[in-house]
Amino acid sequence: MKSFIAKVLTEPLRSLVEKAAEYLPTVLAGLVVFLLGLLLAWLVKLLVVRIIKLLKIEGAFLRSGVTEALQRMAVKDTPAKLIGRMFYWLVVVIFFILSLSVMRIPVIDELLGRFLLYLPNIFVALVIMAIGIFLGNFLGRAVLIASVNAGLRLSGLLSKGVRTVILLFAAVMALEQLGIARSTVVVTFTILFGGVVLALALAFGLGGKELAASWLEKRLKKEGGGEDGDREDELHHL
Amino acid sequence: MADHHISLSEDVRARIAELGNVDILVGIPSFNSARTIGHVVRAVEAGLSKYFPGSRSLLVNSDGGSTDGTTDVVRQAGVDFGSVLIAPQDGRFHKLVTPYHGIPGKGSAFRAVFEIARGLGVKACAVVDSDLRSITPEWMELLIKPVLEEGYDYVSPYYLRHKYDGTITNSIVYPLTRALYGKRIRQPIGGDFGFSGRLASFYLGKDVWETDVARFGIDIWMTTTAVANGFKVCQAFLGAKIHDAKDPGADLSAMLHQVVSAVVDLMEEYPDVWRKVAGSEPVPTFGFAYSVGLEPIHVNLDRMLEKFRLGVADLAVLYRSFLPPALLAFLTSLAEEPRDRFVFPDKEWAWTIFRFALACRRKVMSREHIIKSLTPLYLGKVASFVIETWDSAAEDVENRLEELCRTFEEEKPYLVERWDRQPRRSGSSRRSP
Repeated sequence: MKSFIAKVLTEPLRSLVEKAAEYLPTVLAGLVVFLLGLLLAWLVKLLVVRIIKLLKIEGAFLRSGVTEALQRMAVKDTPAKLIGRMFYWLVVVIFFILSLSVMRIPVIDELLGRFLLYLPNIFVALVIMAIGIFLGNFLGRAVLIASVNAGLRLSGLLSKGVRTVILLFAAVMALEQLGIARSTVVVTFTILFGGVVLALALAFGLGGKELAASWLEKRLKKEGGGEDGDREDELHHL
Repeated sequence: MADHHISLSEDVRARIAELGNVDILVGIPSFNSARTIGHVVRAVEAGLSKYFPGSRSLLVNSDGGSTDGTTDVVRQAGVDFGSVLIAPQDGRFHKLVTPYHGIPGKGSAFRAVFEIARGLGVKACAVVDSDLRSITPEWMELLIKPVLEEGYDYVSPYYLRHKYDGTITNSIVYPLTRALYGKRIRQPIGGDFGFSGRLASFYLGKDVWETDVARFGIDIWMTTTAVANGFKVCQAFLGAKIHDAKDPGADLSAMLHQVVSAVVDLMEEYPDVWRKVAGSEPVPTFGFAYSVGLEPIHVNLDRMLEKFRLGVADLAVLYRSFLPPALLAFLTSLAEEPRDRFVFPDKEWAWTIFRFALACRRKVMSREHIIKSLTPLYLGKVASFVIETWDSAAEDVENRLEELCRTFEEEKPYLVERWDRQPRRSGSSRRSP
């Protein structure tokens, strides 16, 4: 009976304890690495925020419209805090994977390798999106001001259209960089963009026919010395 | 102070050495002005011969690479002294035609003139535009004599203009620079100036020749630099200024951007000077002032008001980041007023200008965007002014401008208090008065 108990319970238990004892330092080492990672992530976040403040990059975010875009998306953090937070999570994820690697789990090792190879793609995609947001806001604002100064009634729509197209371009490029449904994204975008351009061309052609005719009529009348309701100002601004 | 030399060509250096000392230098910056520059050169030569017969004088044409034969016209232009009853200067008048180097623009052309003036040790200089149709020999006397005989360092032009000419000057540049620096220089961006050799050397020492000053904004820069650095300034009544419009279709918002941007740059350079100034004082004016009857001109008020309304509605999203809510609410309510009740008060206009200057200072967005978004509001102010003064005589309009300037002076503390405050995020600026 005793040998039976020893065979069925004691031996496996001893084996389990031995294996656990053998593995415990690795688990502890993994935990320590992860905790160190948390600490380092916190320090990196502080450092990044401090560097952004020292270099006065916040002003550039404000000028370029990034702050405004974030506010519009209901993001309460300043761009500096947001970047700090991104770095925090990047370090946390890296150390989480490192800690799993320390624990020597083969599947994790493979995943880690793939993740590290994929990281540059994420970085490039983020840069593309940042440039897209900056350009979209800047050009959207430029179009808004120019069209208002030209007296165009659809300035807001025009500005939003420009911003949306640029953001869409950036998003497609970022997704392509990430390799997410590459062909689907490009094909969808091409069809959508082509459709929008065609729709706009048709809309302008059909809807603007009368407008163009009346504009030409006014222009020709004016050149012929006709009505002067649309005459240019004769005052000199400078 | 940094001293910045430019490379004058060997020919020019040789000419400077050959000429030795010159008393008076007159600079004419040019670019494709063959049609008009001949008249300007003749007026300058006749003026120098008539009013400064005993002085050695030099006319410098600083050209930006004209392809229409401008420089040939300058070389060939000569005065028929017999017909204008003036005795020629007998070898005392010289001409120098040189291309300028650096960034293309009037500022770079002036820089070459200053450099030559320093090389020749001139006592008095003047610069006049090459597209002038109304310049007469008397302009030389008016721009140079205050420097040579009265000891002034800077002579600003005072032209006879239509009551609605120079609306950017009248509604922004004059009231603002007068309130900032305390001198009543009526046309600080006139284009034709007189100045001493000492001031020319001072200008040359300034590190601005690779900035926007070289391209545009040289006029307001020269005036403000002279005033802010304590040089003795005056103005001269030159009569009407008629010139060929270089670019009649020039974009209003681009003009506004160039001028206002130059004023803001100078505000940032001289805060310690203008912060201390309260009120303003007249500057001595030379010349025989006169006025003529006003010819009616066409002003498309409806279009101005339409653009104002459109701007207030569509640009509110931008204005919110630098105009206080009370001012924005005022603009919104003004946009709803019909033409006969449309009044843009001076106080609100002064606040608007101060707020735009502060927005540039705080860099809340690209400066070009800030200033170009001022265009509809500026048109609103001009429309309000035209409605108010449509039946007024030139003198009444001038008195009305005087009121506007006084308002800018009275409201100046509003700007001074806020100038050095730390930039805020758009959300927090909404709470400020």
